[in-house]
This record gives sequence, C-alpha cells and structure tokens, in this order.
Amino acid sequence: MAAKIPLHRSAAVVGIGHSDWRQDWNRVRQGEVPFDSYGYATVAFQRALQDAKINAQEIDGLISGQSTSYERMGEVLGLNVRWGGLGNAVMAISQAVMAIETGMAEVVALIYGNNQRSAKVQYGGEKAIGGESVLSYVYHAPWGMTSQGSLYAMLQRRYAQERGYTESDLGQVAVSQRAWASKNPHAIQQKPITIEDYLASNYVCEPLHLFDYCLINDGGVALILAESNRARHMCDKPVYIETIARYDYNQNGTSLRPQLETFYTHAQEKVADRIFNATGWGPEDMDLVQIYDSFAVHIPLALEGYGYCKPGEFPKLCKEQGIGPGGKRPVNTSGGHLSESYMQGWNHQIEMIRQLRGTCGNRQIEKCNRGHYSSDIFGKAFSIIYGC
Amino acid sequence: MEDKTPISPPTVLGLYDRPMWDSIRARAMRLQQCNQCLTFRYPPGPTCGSCLSIDFEWQAISGKASIWSWVVFHRQYLDAYPTPYNVISIQLEEGPLMVSNLAGPEPTGSWIGQAVEICYVTLKDGTVLPRFRLIQ
Repeated sequence: MAAKIPLHRSAAVVGIGHSDWRQDWNRVRQGEVPFDSYGYATVAFQRALQDAKINAQEIDGLISGQSTSYERMGEVLGLNVRWGGLGNAVMAISQAVMAIETGMAEVVALIYGNNQRSAKVQYGGEKAIGGESVLSYVYHAPWGMTSQGSLYAMLQRRYAQERGYTESDLGQVAVSQRAWASKNPHAIQQKPITIEDYLASNYVCEPLHLFDYCLINDGGVALILAESNRARHMCDKPVYIETIARYDYNQNGTSLRPQLETFYTHAQEKVADRIFNATGWGPEDMDLVQIYDSFAVHIPLALEGYGYCKPGEFPKLCKEQGIGPGGKRPVNTSGGHLSESYMQGWNHQIEMIRQLRGTCGNRQIEKCNRGHYSSDIFGKAFSIIYGC
Repeated sequence: MEDKTPISPPTVLGLYDRPMWDSIRARAMRLQQCNQCLTFRYPPGPTCGSCLSIDFEWQAISGKASIWSWVVFHRQYLDAYPTPYNVISIQLEEGPLMVSNLAGPEPTGSWIGQAVEICYVTLKDGTVLPRFRLIQ
C-alpha cells in the first residue's frame, strides 16, 4: 500500500486579497504614510472575504504574518477564533492546513501586512532586522557584514564558480521576471530590462547587481483556507493544497556553512524526495513553479535542488526551455519579489491561486492545473504543491 | 572638538563570546574545542553541536585558513566601513568557517582556495579584529 500523502487535499484556498501595491508604492514615495502594517492587512482581508463571498463571522482560525502581532491582528479585525498563531508565508500555510486536518479549525484567515518601506525597516547595517533570531544577520558586523544581500552575495560567488555560471547566465532571472511583470497590472516594476541593462546596473554587494535584489515596499496580503468539503460548497474553483514538506539546516548556520557548502540544494533534494515520491509526480508534472526570491540566485538553486534541471544546467534550461513569458518552464509569473512586490513569500501564493483559477489575463499559463511553491530562507527548505 | 572617529560595529557578546574576544585582544585567538569529540566550535556556545558534550577547553588556533568565498560591498551600511571593502568567508585549519576581511594585497582572479593566515588589526577606535592576509 502506498504511503499516505501528508496533508493531501484536506484544505483549499477559497479567497485571496491584497492591497494596491502600485498605489501603496507611489503614495509612500511621495512621503505619505497611507497605513500601518495592520491597515494594509485590513485592506487585504476585506478583499479576501469578498473574493470568498463570506462574512468575517465564518472565520474560526487566524494566522497573522510575521511582521505583526497575532493578538493585535485579531483585535484590529474583531476576530474571536478557536485556533490561531503567527507565521511567515510557508509556516502560516502549513499550520493552517494542519489545524484544518486535525479539526482545530475549519475556515482559517491568513493575514499579512507590512509597512517596511514607510517605516524604513533596515535589512542591513547595525539595526538590521531579524538579528535576534537569525544570528548570522548581526554576528559578522565587526567585519562589516550585516546585510541579508551580502549573505546571498557570498553564496552566489562560490556557487557561480562551482557551477561555471557567468553573470549573464544568472542575470536571466531578473530579465525574465521583469518580462513577466510587464504583463502584470499589479506589479510595481513593469518596464522591461535587457541583459545589457542588468550587466550595466550597479553592484550593491558584489557579485550581486541592483536587479538581483527584491523590492522593499509596503502592502498587505490575505488568504482564506477552508476544509475541503466545505470549500467545495463555498466556491466554484477551490485550489487545493496537495502536500507540504520541509527540511531544515540549522547546524553551523551562523558560520554560513549550509549555504556555502551545498547552497541548500541538499535540503531541497530531501524535500523533493518527499513531495515527489509521496505523490508519484515529478518536476515534469508541475505546470508552474513559484520560488521565494529575496535574491535572484534562489531561482537556479531551487530549479537544481528540485530536479527541474541538473546542477550546472540552469543556462541550458533558460536557453532550451525558457523561464519567462512563452517559455516551457514558467517561473515566478507575477514578477516575484524582484519586480511585482516584496510581500515576503505571500504574493507568490496569490499568483499561484490566480494561475490555477485561470485569471491571469495575457500572462496566463495554458492548462495550469498544478503548481510548486519553494522557499529556502533561514536554512528551511519548504515546498507546497497546489492543485485544482 | 568633536571626535569623528567612527565607532566600530558592535560585537555580539553572548555569555560564551567574551573569552574569545579577550583572546583576540591578546592577539592569540582561541576557540572552544570539545573534549569528547575534539570538534572546534564557531561561534562560541554552550555545547558541542556534533556530540552535545558540554565539556570543552579554550584552545589557541593556528591562524592558517583558506578562502571559501568573498564579496565586495559597494553600498555603505556602516560608518566604520566606507566602500568599497571586502568581506571573506574562510575555513580555519581547525574546521569551522568564519567571516572576516582580507587585509593587504588581493589575489588576481578568483580568491577561492587561496591560503591565508591570521593578522590582528587595531581599528581607529581601539577595537582589535582578527583579519587574514595572503600567505606569499
């Protein structure tokens, strides 16, 4: 008998919502402070309720995103629930699905708001955020290394040499994602760039160019997940969570050994074993791949780690299949964190649902029935498979 | 007159870091070595991550290392570090990886695999830092 597939189709996404990222961006750039984190979260939540065609009284579980307090989120939105918690995008989704499968809740709201741009949150320097939990963000400050970008710059330098990748090879990520963003009315950066633009752009922390970095912007995202039977009665096209798996590298994390020794790809291989062996699917069965992209190098790492191409064959995959519009291996079709919006993994879930619902307009992937979301941050390789 | 000397970025001073920074100020850097499995530990901590023994001794390191990777900052985040400047990841002869800076001449071509040795640099505000330089 085949092993049980963990969390298999026990929950589905029935509602999505987000704030107007472009408008938020423009207002903040003009010096306005439109909302705080809870305000952005409220906009997103109201839209997710409208999308799910339910009222707030039906929500019996709540997860707040990582940049807000769970208790305050519940207070602001007036949500009394029988189960709840706090988490980043992948943690929130896995907690919600586990709560639904175990009967702790039936309809869970996952709500994220972040005023990181207007509040001038620092991702480098002495006040770099996250240092209290991830020691590598602050431990190397005496030698001038604090920014999150520098950790990925250190990784990319060694990775590129080991694989034989040039700057032009890795620049395909930023160029392709901007091409997708040019077809996405929600994307903050829509102006196409060429590989020449990429190579001519400034280094921030060499070897990373400006276009390798995510945006920093304000905004909010909300998802509503429901128990599958209930989901089928709630909406015409629920999008199911097929399975979830993770593997974490914690040992020697501060010294950066996991990201410099195997570039996290070994952790991803372990997760690939779980998600693909359990379901009987392989990379060829995925119509869409969405990858957490605080930095562009996440994309080749995940594509290699999950077997979408062999190590060293990312340039070949770009050339022969293509990861941008019209390509056979579409990746981050919204433009991702680099070009759409930096909602810390939350906007990737929105795009996944839009594609699986078939509502993506001129960037819609044909016959999009199954998608893979991968994130590898803080040493955690995480995968969610979505299906119709 | 106001002192414009930039203050060096703060060191993380957990309970176990202090003896290491004391040894750096004495220009003879030490790390914890597990008495049970002999694994060297960086950063300092309460127990051996390989065998969980809490029994250790502070041992002087040889100062020999090789470069694993390097970056060059072009955006300034810290007053004490005007750009451009390098940051390197090195593997100590004793095993642990460590982040530092390359002092002195830089290699032509790739820095990865270059042999380096420790040197102690006193910054403008008196902070002593372990850095590394190429072994000629």
